[in-house]
Amino acid sequence: METRDNVLIRVKDLKKYYNRGAIKALDGITVDINKGDVMAVIGPSGSGKSTFLRSLNLLEQPTGGNIEFDGVDITKKKIPGPDGRMVRMNIDIHRQKMGMVFQHFNLFPHKTILDNMTLAPMKVKNIPRGQAEEKALQLLDRVGLKDRASAYPIQLSGGQKQRVAIVRALAMEPEVMLFDEPTSALDPAMVGEVLDVMKELAQAGMTMICVTHEMGFAREVGNRVLFLADGRLLEQGPPSEMFDHPQNARLQDFLSKVL
Amino acid sequence: MKSFIRLENFPVVMKYWQLFLQGILVTVLLSVSTVVIGFVLAMVLAIMRMSTIRPFYSLGLDKDGHEKEYGIGHTISKFNPVSFLATAYVEILRSTPVIVQVFIIYYGVFGLIKLPSFAMFGFIKFDRFFPGVVALGMNSGAYLCEIIRSGIQSVDGGQTEAARSLGMSSVQNLRYIILPQAIKNILPAIANEFVVIIKESAITYTIGVQDIMSAVNAVKGATFIITEPLLVATAIYFCLCFPTSKLIAYFERKMRRGDKR
Ligand SMILES: Nc1ncnc2c1ncn2[C@@H]1O[C@H](COP(=O)(O)OP(=O)(O)OP(=O)(O)O)[C@@H](O)[C@H]1O
Ligand SMILES: [Mg+2]
Repeated sequence: METRDNVLIRVKDLKKYYNRGAIKALDGITVDINKGDVMAVIGPSGSGKSTFLRSLNLLEQPTGGNIEFDGVDITKKKIPGPDGRMVRMNIDIHRQKMGMVFQHFNLFPHKTILDNMTLAPMKVKNIPRGQAEEKALQLLDRVGLKDRASAYPIQLSGGQKQRVAIVRALAMEPEVMLFDEPTSALDPAMVGEVLDVMKELAQAGMTMICVTHEMGFAREVGNRVLFLADGRLLEQGPPSEMFDHPQNARLQDFLSKVL
Repeated sequence: MKSFIRLENFPVVMKYWQLFLQGILVTVLLSVSTVVIGFVLAMVLAIMRMSTIRPFYSLGLDKDGHEKEYGIGHTISKFNPVSFLATAYVEILRSTPVIVQVFIIYYGVFGLIKLPSFAMFGFIKFDRFFPGVVALGMNSGAYLCEIIRSGIQSVDGGQTEAARSLGMSSVQNLRYIILPQAIKNILPAIANEFVVIIKESAITYTIGVQDIMSAVNAVKGATFIITEPLLVATAIYFCLCFPTSKLIAYFERKMRRGDKR
């Protein structure tokens, strides 16, 4: 397999068109995401950041290109099975290994915090309830919300909801976490508590891809930055170079507006 | 001058109270059976409409195995015969009068299929009642299908995205995430449909179902009095429908409040 080196996700010439190609949300993105990368994806509004992130776990079906995850091309309908025969690619298996955190949390409002966290491990991975709950409580403890386990999402603040959303994804023990502007819907006062959790996660070695407007976070925590504009990857590199010595004119222009 | 109502007619009408009582029983039984049949049918139709069966799927893939965005192959590949059938059924039943549907079922379908002619509870003619239930059930199935569908679609799309991103299948998503949330919107609408059916079921007297309207008709035939029995029927229908609507509204309000824990 192609996983010889450190690459976790290999994106090749990824395209996503809307309206018969009139809108090119992604126009040929090629990038390798390594294990342990903490990648910040930045760019102006409408540049395709969300589309890129959502394509990685096939919430958006790409128009073209390939996404190899753990050595499997998940854009293919049929893939070689263990015995070499072609089998139907089951995206659910791969999605289990990719946690996702949304701008608007998307907690399940009819379930308690604990049930939010144990549902997928129990139903998808067939983990017994006791074990799933123990793990969930550990994770909640890690983000300081153990005492809210029996509360409903509506009873939590935005920052608390997002912390729950993060540990809900972690409960599936993913190999990579995808964040789509996780702090954009929060009151400024609550941004810090969520970024702290993400920072801790990065330090624990989690592979993370974060679409974010928090340039401070990208610079401090990230090891790589991608700059997208008009569906293209215009520049990438370590945060220090990207922020201090931007090469591309669009990036210079973008940074002058946000920094 | 002839007056609209003549009070002395009411005692005459009331001699037939047993017919009205039987009519109430039939109307209620008819409506309950209709809602049950309609709901089961609607569930099946809704699942059919939301299914992702695409027999010509492969025609919409390019050489590389990606889905094409447009072109004739793309259009054909999107075709879902199961969903098409359900949609056609729903649209046809919603776009034609109930009385036509009732007649087609009674004279057409059950003109060919002979039903056993026995009496339920000693007086309900099964070979009239059953076609009435079938016709009304088929009709309300179409309406309830739309109620269920819109209830499901009213659940925020982010819920499905969260569930699927956790690795849940589309069936698990429907069962654990979407339906429990949709049911809050669906239940009151189904209860409202029940009230509609109580009123609509009056039409089945035209095929000899012995409901409240048929009691009116019988009294008219025997006494040549028409306005007063109609007023009695009006009162009965009102007493069935109005409290039911109020009860539904009450529970709806209570459920809403429960939401804002
Ligand atoms: N379902 C859709 N149909 C048509 N166009 C779409 C659709 N989804 C996204 N687009 C378009 O694709 C482009 C990229 O959108 P995307 O949401 O990925 O941008 P973004 O970088 O995340 O922007 P933002 O910072 O505002 O979130 C935009 O021009 C958008 O209008
Ligand atoms: Mg976005």
